[in-house]
Amino acid sequence: MATKLITRPINWNKIEDSVDLDVWNRLTQNFWLPEKVPISNDVQSWGNLRPHEQKLTMHVFTGLTMLDTIQGTVGSMSLMPDARTPHEEAVITNIAFMESVHAKSYSSVFSTLCSTNDIDEAFRWSEDNPYLQKKAEIILGYYRGDDPLKRKVASTLLESFLFYSGFYLPMYWSSRAKLTNTADLIRLIIRDEAIHGYYIGYKFQLGYNESSTARQEELKSYTYDLLLELYENEVKYTADLYDEIGLTHDVKQFLHYNGNKALMNLGFDPLFPKDDCQVSPAILSALSPASDENHDFFSGSGSSYVIGKHEATTDDDWNF
Amino acid sequence: MANQLVEVADDQGNLTGKQTIESAMSYQDLNAMINLWGADQKLQLEKDKLAVRKYFLDHVNQNTVFFHSLEERLDYLVENDYYEKEVLDQYSFAFIEKLEKLAYSKKFRFEAFMGAYKFYTGYALKTFDGTRYLERFEDRVVMVALTLAAGDEDMAIHMVEEIISGRFQPATPTFLNCGKKQRGEFVSCFLLRIEDNMESISRGINSALQLSKRGGGVALSLSNVREYGAPIKKIEGQSSGIIPVMKLLEDSFSYANQLGARQGAGAVYLNAHHPDIMRFLDTKRENADEKIRIKTLSIGVVVPDITLELAKNGEDMYLFSPYDVEKVYGVPFGDISVTEKYNEMVDDPRIRKSKIKARELFERIAELQFESGYPYVMYEDTVNAANPIQGRINMSNLCSEILQVNTPTTYNADLSYDDIGKDISCNLGSMNIAMAMDGGDLGLTVETSIRALTAVSDMSNIESVRSISDGNHKSHAIGLGQMNLHGYLAREKVHYGSEESIDFTNIYFYTVLFHALKASNKIAIERKSHFHNFENSKYASGEFFDKYTDQVWAPTTEKAKELFAKANVAIPSQEDWRELKASVMKHGIYNQNLQAVPPTGSISYINNSTSSIHPIASRVEVRKEGKLGRVYYPAPFLNEETWEYYEDAYEVGPDKIIDVYAAATQHVDQGLSLTLFFKDTATTRDVNRAQIYAWKKGIKTIYYIRIRQAALEGTEVENCVSCML
Repeated sequence: MATKLITRPINWNKIEDSVDLDVWNRLTQNFWLPEKVPISNDVQSWGNLRPHEQKLTMHVFTGLTMLDTIQGTVGSMSLMPDARTPHEEAVITNIAFMESVHAKSYSSVFSTLCSTNDIDEAFRWSEDNPYLQKKAEIILGYYRGDDPLKRKVASTLLESFLFYSGFYLPMYWSSRAKLTNTADLIRLIIRDEAIHGYYIGYKFQLGYNESSTARQEELKSYTYDLLLELYENEVKYTADLYDEIGLTHDVKQFLHYNGNKALMNLGFDPLFPKDDCQVSPAILSALSPASDENHDFFSGSGSSYVIGKHEATTDDDWNF
Repeated sequence: MANQLVEVADDQGNLTGKQTIESAMSYQDLNAMINLWGADQKLQLEKDKLAVRKYFLDHVNQNTVFFHSLEERLDYLVENDYYEKEVLDQYSFAFIEKLEKLAYSKKFRFEAFMGAYKFYTGYALKTFDGTRYLERFEDRVVMVALTLAAGDEDMAIHMVEEIISGRFQPATPTFLNCGKKQRGEFVSCFLLRIEDNMESISRGINSALQLSKRGGGVALSLSNVREYGAPIKKIEGQSSGIIPVMKLLEDSFSYANQLGARQGAGAVYLNAHHPDIMRFLDTKRENADEKIRIKTLSIGVVVPDITLELAKNGEDMYLFSPYDVEKVYGVPFGDISVTEKYNEMVDDPRIRKSKIKARELFERIAELQFESGYPYVMYEDTVNAANPIQGRINMSNLCSEILQVNTPTTYNADLSYDDIGKDISCNLGSMNIAMAMDGGDLGLTVETSIRALTAVSDMSNIESVRSISDGNHKSHAIGLGQMNLHGYLAREKVHYGSEESIDFTNIYFYTVLFHALKASNKIAIERKSHFHNFENSKYASGEFFDKYTDQVWAPTTEKAKELFAKANVAIPSQEDWRELKASVMKHGIYNQNLQAVPPTGSISYINNSTSSIHPIASRVEVRKEGKLGRVYYPAPFLNEETWEYYEDAYEVGPDKIIDVYAAATQHVDQGLSLTLFFKDTATTRDVNRAQIYAWKKGIKTIYYIRIRQAALEGTEVENCVSCML
């Protein structure tokens, strides 16, 4: 007979790692669906983009869809067996589900703004683009590997680094007052990804700190190697996308910035020198995950969205 | 990146030197830098000034049509249908030239990039293809003054003085449209009743379309409409209630979107004791079915005192069928005081009723406010107790600051009018408290503002909705607002919500009320005319003045005394009030309503103010608007010294905001848009407590509820100012 499996029921009243609870609370509070964002308000703005700008936007979004598909169906799931606590498992299920929400969000942007022919073309492009395929291949390779900490590195690099060549564009458009509602939706995604990258990076650090010095060295060089491998491909992918509108230089700065950020999430020193991380301030400010922006009722709904906690009033509260 | 030299100007617009900035830096980038800490961990406020400069150099100046002379400019603009000839014809050319010179002599400069950007994208006259500017800020101010002064040269001079100095700022529709040949209405805020019949409902939808087309925000009261399952022609279970009416309205508003320029905006109000109240609230649920979900229509609940009493006692509250109530009392449900008739209606078997738990209603309201910011709340009995005008107030508007009486309209079978009732429109303008205090003559600032707003009322004529135009001609209602309270307090080193700040707010609004009434009385004397039904108001009976003649109002704290003394602002005495009372009782006042404090969005940026009398939402505000994208706006007068006085609204908390508003509310005849801000640690109970506290303090309406979510530690953007909590 095979080894006996013990199933432990999850007890939320006994928290082993308080970060699990914090992140769970935050993620559930952040829950959202694409239907919430009035993308249709961008129809006019979309119409004002020039054809090559529209095409670029669609390619960028299919690229992002691809990453979220991987992350939702393979990536997050592959982290499940390595969970240190039952609560971590619960958090990962939430992460996986939200990745699928993200992947679906791009489709709702497409269906609102573009024609079926254009959508089909963009998906074909994603299947044919060598750099995008390469990117998927690299990451999938590591997810299928058998080292749990290495899987976490791959996941963190995906969440905190690889997404951003794509996120750049909607942030850029919104700082130019274009597709601002779409940008709101992307900002909701960024808000989630920021937490995902942070959380998985944190779990990586726990494992890392328990490892032997030799193992730590191995993980460290593995991380930098993987980042460089991804970076090399990412630069080509970026050039392929952004050369036509002349933003490649800017996007690369942004990649460096986020590469360092991913390393920070994993507890490692930055790789790219500060001078190469000069992200355009408009983009950097647009990224702020805090939902503190103000908007009036004539605009879209903004990216602030919180589900409230119910608490009944007591007699004392009504004492007037 | 090549460096470029840019001249830098100080606050007064004097050039103070040259500074290098990367030529590749766009004004958007420079503006965004105020949201990021500099290398020395200091605020980069100067970057915003550079952004303004860069915006003019790179964009405005290059895209402004040049004219050799004023004459050439005006001729061109009139001939090409840009300016209204009738406006200019009221004056000699020499006078217009003098007025232009006066305006330009003030050396107006935009303090913040947001202000300049907003003005040029949203207000300045542009060529018909939308590519080039035909006006600078000064030209716009002159056209507004010429329009509103209607040929009175002295008045035009006063208006230019007040507006260009920033002491008074007309609301967007007025400031945007005055003097333009292709223009929308000067008034943009409307309130309509809907009665319990199909003629009135369809007329309501028609009016919503017409008013949206003209750029208006429209609020409608649904309290009178019969509930879901009510009988139609005595056949039970026939009515579909108010939700389908809301759907129709929502679609109407999004259809009439002014050539895509902006979404139509609408709100609906419902009495808390209407049987559809829970369904009404649930339309705002995130997970509501698409068939009933209301995304873009704003909602408000009219709450009578009895509802709070019942909640206090933990009792059930009865909901009454408007259909039956109207049959029994002969007047629509909305025109009845539920508080007064509650027990009577409970005991009346002719009125069908259902019940819910009163506390659950409040909890539901709070839950939805978390999810969506809605509903607005109007405390019906507080509003009516403070209303000096005969009649009943049963709804508010899209920004919850307009509170006026209305009467129903009836229709003939062919949909023509039988009896035209009174619906509400309101034109607004706001004073900048800091500039008004600095100005040296608060009385004149108020008077000029009242005259400007009265001119707007005189000029507007909404023909497509007769109940609105009739109402306006009878009431001449206006709403003088205030903004930049927090800016002023911070500059004077007073904490928002402190005893000093409440003391100042109280006496400031007290003084403004005095001058506003005096100005309206002056107009009544000049024109030998007062608003319709003045005779039956508490102004005519003198009752309104009791609280001012019987009681001394003066600042109590040293700081507030010092502020008024420093600004040389005289505080009206009891004797002054007795004099004013006598004159008002004798001659009347021209405007049925005088004050209303709006939330002030766009105009406070142009005017370099903090919004309304709120605390700031953030020291560096991130603003998203359709036309603008993300723009960053630093609080006015923000620097190292004022930093600590700029606690944001979430830090200040709901109680202090309510205290400040309560001080102002007692001197304002209409309402004040009051948004409450909570940190994300708040629960529905905190929101409920704030609502109870607001009601206790005599607050009339609550506008939005805002919840701020802090970035999870470790996920913030490095160096981001607005992320810092």
